[in-house]
Amino acid sequence: MNSLLRQGLRLGCCLPAVQQQIHTTAVHRTFWEREKKSGYKTKLPEPSKKQMIMDGLRDLKEEMKLWRQEVKEKFESDPILVFRPGETDVVFDFKAPDVLDKWTVTTDADHGEGKSTATLELSAAGAGLFHGEVNSNHTKDGIIKRTGYANIRTKRVRKSFKRESTYDWTQYNMLIMKVRGDGRSYLINLHTEGYFDLMWNDIYHYVLYTRGGPHWQIAKIPFSKFFLSSKGRVQDRQGAIPLNRVTHFGFSVAAKKGMDGPFGLEIDYVGLEFDPSHREEFAYEMYQTPKYIVAT
Amino acid sequence: MIRRAQCLLRLHGNGGHSLVSRLRCYATDEGNPKQNPNPNPRAQKPGTKNLPALRNPFTAAQDRTKNSYLTMVEIFQERDVHRRNHVEFIYAALKNMADFGVERDLEVYKALINVMPKGKFIPTNMFQAEFMHYPKQQQCIIDLLEQMEDCGVMPDHEMEAMLLNVFGRQGHPLRKYWRMMYWMPKFKNLSPWPLPDPVPDDTLEMAKLALERMCTVDLRSKITVFETSELKDAIDDTWIVSGMSPEQEKLLREHSRQKALYIEGPFHIWLRNRRINYFTLRADADSEFLSQLDERQLDEDDVSHIEVPFFGRAPPRRHNQLGKLRSVHQQDDGTIMAICATGTSTKDSLLSWIRLLEANGNPSIGEVPVLFRFTSEVPAKAEEIEGGASVPATSDNSSQDEHNSSRAK
Repeated sequence: MNSLLRQGLRLGCCLPAVQQQIHTTAVHRTFWEREKKSGYKTKLPEPSKKQMIMDGLRDLKEEMKLWRQEVKEKFESDPILVFRPGETDVVFDFKAPDVLDKWTVTTDADHGEGKSTATLELSAAGAGLFHGEVNSNHTKDGIIKRTGYANIRTKRVRKSFKRESTYDWTQYNMLIMKVRGDGRSYLINLHTEGYFDLMWNDIYHYVLYTRGGPHWQIAKIPFSKFFLSSKGRVQDRQGAIPLNRVTHFGFSVAAKKGMDGPFGLEIDYVGLEFDPSHREEFAYEMYQTPKYIVAT
Repeated sequence: MIRRAQCLLRLHGNGGHSLVSRLRCYATDEGNPKQNPNPNPRAQKPGTKNLPALRNPFTAAQDRTKNSYLTMVEIFQERDVHRRNHVEFIYAALKNMADFGVERDLEVYKALINVMPKGKFIPTNMFQAEFMHYPKQQQCIIDLLEQMEDCGVMPDHEMEAMLLNVFGRQGHPLRKYWRMMYWMPKFKNLSPWPLPDPVPDDTLEMAKLALERMCTVDLRSKITVFETSELKDAIDDTWIVSGMSPEQEKLLREHSRQKALYIEGPFHIWLRNRRINYFTLRADADSEFLSQLDERQLDEDDVSHIEVPFFGRAPPRRHNQLGKLRSVHQQDDGTIMAICATGTSTKDSLLSWIRLLEANGNPSIGEVPVLFRFTSEVPAKAEEIEGGASVPATSDNSSQDEHNSSRAK
């Protein structure tokens, strides 16, 4: 307490006006979240009213196109309802045109909290290449403990007129990926963002081990292996992933345990499959925990 | 209160053993502002009333070994019954673990937990249990457990007993411990390509491990270690670890003599925290063969050409005929003939690799033009640093030069 007071006084010497605003202890806002980015929302300058109207009209054309497609699909009424064992349905294909616009690349450097770099581009083989350099060095400002990550994520799946929707993958039980990595292990993230602030950061994870080398590798991962975490913490109350509520898909790579340096993950496609021989619903046993222990 | 504790410590530390004196304060970086008796830093004159700068015993230690680390912990424990500032001590100890090379040692973590007094922090009623009894101490041990988690050190059951003695069943460190013991064993041996932990320091061993890992794509692959000294006129004296399977040998035999082979690299593969450079011997994809394969894929949903089996025999189709199977090495973006890692990663060692492959059962390489395609930025960097002088003649991104290996002999 003594030192805290003193620190406050010291700050007060140089910045008397802002003395009241400076917290010297960490603030835990566990009650509710103001916005989805948890304080990381970058305030961008708002375009002029005229610009907004023009952008809106331009978007309207595309949205009408999407909407027409949706109506057409509704009348055609030809959804895939059959389980087709052994057939892979490709969801994210990097051979498709302007596929890179569907992904967002983020690193710790985005908010000045690290020095990692990353890009997603098309490789010589025509696949998507997520590469860059992860770096765990950071400015020791006393707030950030660890850094060094890079991440790619698809944009939120949506319907026409910017209405948010979700993927429905309930027919499948396997995630199939054709990748070529560099021996690092990557984190597969399946976001199931919910309506309430508690569920905004729900992400189901699993590891993608890459072999490395010049050969392509097909990874087949059951959805039952994915476990729930929120803000990087594995949760106590687990459950199988709700496949009808998947909102984003992504990969992460971190500079943990001295793995600072370049990385490269080449992704050909990400697909889904139904494997009838896989009966597991959730891979992790769930014990009855004592009262008032969960999520504390 | 804090100041008085430090005075006491100084009294204890001034006489006696040298290690003890080194231990008189374990305050970390923010130690200096804390010990300042005057709250206003401007009023303080330099040199007067200033307490001596306190040292962190871990940064001041002479020999940085596990033994000296444990001795310091022991001295702290035995210095007095109160063990004042043990939280700061543990934080300082955690921070300096890497310097002593003990960050992956379970015994050391246990020794640090042992610093905590037993039985004092156990809550005795539900209010204490609910409001995190002794929060600083609990958070300190949670941070210790988190550091263990980050370093991949799995706790054992003895640690559970120790934590129970310190914090009781309601303690938050126990919750962290139980979570770790639930998840860590699940993830520990998950990798389909297990590696020793820690990985060996020898580069040759690492190269062998890397090649073995990359060659798991073809189970018949063989890893061979060549020495360039086997060749007469090799400049570098180094080792070459080469991986090739009988299937790749066959592909190489059948490779057209007119089409070039490429030595490409260096690419890298990570084995835990070590990065190994490797090179590939690659040919362009046999597009003729691959397109032939595509033809064999019949669209079974296509109902425009249903053959009627009643009128005569159905004409033989291509997919019923015997054909070549596509090898795993024949990829869409090229055919991989072999991979290697060399001790020096220079062009000369790669030339030696080609000649050694030729001498060891692949005579056809001698008749095929072999091109080098280096994608390294290292020579460019070296040039930058050394000012353009005495750089080994490895080419950069754009340049390609041809070495007909038969001519090079």
